[in-house]
Amino acid sequence: MSHQLPAILFLLPLFAAISMPVVCLKHRHWCQRIALVILAAMVLTSILNLHNVVRHGEVRYVFSGWAVPLGIEWVADGLASVVLVLLSVLGLLGVVFTGPTSPKALGGRIVHYYTLILLLISALTGIVFARDLFNLFVFLEVGAISSYALVGVAGGRALFAAFRYLILGTLGASLYLLGVSYLYAVSGTLNMGDIAGRLPLLLHSKALVGGLLFIFIGLGIKMALVPFHAWMPEAYTYAPDSISPILAPLVTKVALLAWVRIIYWVLNATIVIYDIPILLLVDVLGMLAAVIGASLALAQRNIKMMFAYGGISHIGIILIGIGQGNPTGFAGGVFYLLNDAVMQAALFFIAGVAFFQYGIKTIDDLGRVGKQAPWLVGSLVVVGLGMIGLPPTGGFFGKWYIILGALEAGNYISVIAVVLSTLLTLAYFVKLFEGIFRQKPTQPEGQFDEIPLSFKLTLGITSAAIMVLGIFSAPIVQLLSNQALPPGL
Amino acid sequence: MVDALSAVFQRPNFLTFVIIFLWGFYIMVTRYNLVKKLIGMYLVQTSVIFFLVSISAKKGATVPVLLSNTEPVKAASYANPLPHVLTLTAIVVGVATLGVGLALCAAIYRKYGSLDEQKILERME
Repeated sequence: MSHQLPAILFLLPLFAAISMPVVCLKHRHWCQRIALVILAAMVLTSILNLHNVVRHGEVRYVFSGWAVPLGIEWVADGLASVVLVLLSVLGLLGVVFTGPTSPKALGGRIVHYYTLILLLISALTGIVFARDLFNLFVFLEVGAISSYALVGVAGGRALFAAFRYLILGTLGASLYLLGVSYLYAVSGTLNMGDIAGRLPLLLHSKALVGGLLFIFIGLGIKMALVPFHAWMPEAYTYAPDSISPILAPLVTKVALLAWVRIIYWVLNATIVIYDIPILLLVDVLGMLAAVIGASLALAQRNIKMMFAYGGISHIGIILIGIGQGNPTGFAGGVFYLLNDAVMQAALFFIAGVAFFQYGIKTIDDLGRVGKQAPWLVGSLVVVGLGMIGLPPTGGFFGKWYIILGALEAGNYISVIAVVLSTLLTLAYFVKLFEGIFRQKPTQPEGQFDEIPLSFKLTLGITSAAIMVLGIFSAPIVQLLSNQALPPGL
Repeated sequence: MVDALSAVFQRPNFLTFVIIFLWGFYIMVTRYNLVKKLIGMYLVQTSVIFFLVSISAKKGATVPVLLSNTEPVKAASYANPLPHVLTLTAIVVGVATLGVGLALCAAIYRKYGSLDEQKILERME
């Protein structure tokens, strides 16, 4: 039974998504309940899967019994299992959060909304597990098509953002497919392990270099890496408030995971192709993203826009950790990925509550509510500490291990980039807090309703998770460096 | 130079791929009409599919169904089915993306009364 867990984890949301339009045709209020039950089951199954992987080692799953080079292979290793727990928990929280906002924000398209969310989560599960380059492409596209539709589901200004996202995302996917066909043409296989085995003979092939370049650009667009990030802030800002907290932490992070898979599992990480060490490339792109993303966030006044640019800079910090090429940096990068996903979810929950409950869109509005919104301000302070990276939170320990890894590798410029990005993050959170605490209320304060239980739950759980990740950082990083490291590191 | 040129012209399929790809990309970047952008996007997708088909073409090969059970299998006389399967999947993905894109276009047209990017941006302010 336990070796079927990867397939079960994928099929749970997929079957629920397919049956949703039929089951909920007449009973719309069932949608959220079904999604909640399915995602709760998925959380339990993913924890079981992680336990199983830690106990007995990685699970290799081959579809319909075709042996590896011919069949499609999925591997539940430590990294995939940890990310999957994160994915299902954040998906569950996102659906809990959706409850009160949905009728107003989605314009009655509730069935479509839950179907697409479950489809997105099953596609992301596929990306996390897949060890086949083309399989990865299919799941990237299923996930991407669901996200285009989710961004545009409520209509209005989001439609245009969704269209731009679609154009750029499809360009990225086409480039990725082109790169995959180059790699297939030169190596004759699509399985990641198989390509890795044949790689030493191909190092001087120009087709390999071209293919990798196309794959990197394609996935770079998907994960909003800095020169290709143009679609991301708009799409996440104008998307309905209940959708950004699901898209923002998951879609870009999972694309980043696919990139890490290709760099470490297909290519040997220490590889030098035409005098360019791959890891140096990752490191430099990460530094650029970390600093530029944070500087752009500083210039924003719309809070969702600011958080989206913050996410771009944090992708850079993760890449700096991944790019150090030593176990400390890699474990730190993956740990920071977990933290960043939780923080992004928390930030967009905050932005959602701020708009839905208090009508706040920009920093200037924040001062208006100030002390009347204890849940909002409290969780914003906690997430702020995490984003800046102050000690009790997980954000601090993530950056700490990344900096340790960079020092170990002797990369002092990376250390400077992390510190600079931290200072810029501090600057834009100071700007945010100034909006809340300094500003005198300019107009008579209206009374606001008590915020719904599900908002309190999501804000409370994400804030608590940021603290818990910090307090238990040592065992988690230990687990990651025992279980989640790539081969040869 | 002559060598490089002759290498290019001996592979007309690659040349065609590059032309279609760049043509689609050019349309995507320069046109303001959203449907034209979608056409450019579809050209880019189709060019990649064309590339995938053209690298898998094989002279004198037949469909990969065994002709007889008794004779030993000669791999050289069969075409590799995998790229064709990949192509089919890629076509399905492309059609799905195009469908979502056209639906978004229709919704944008209903809301803003135009498909011109600049007019839409003006009306959004």
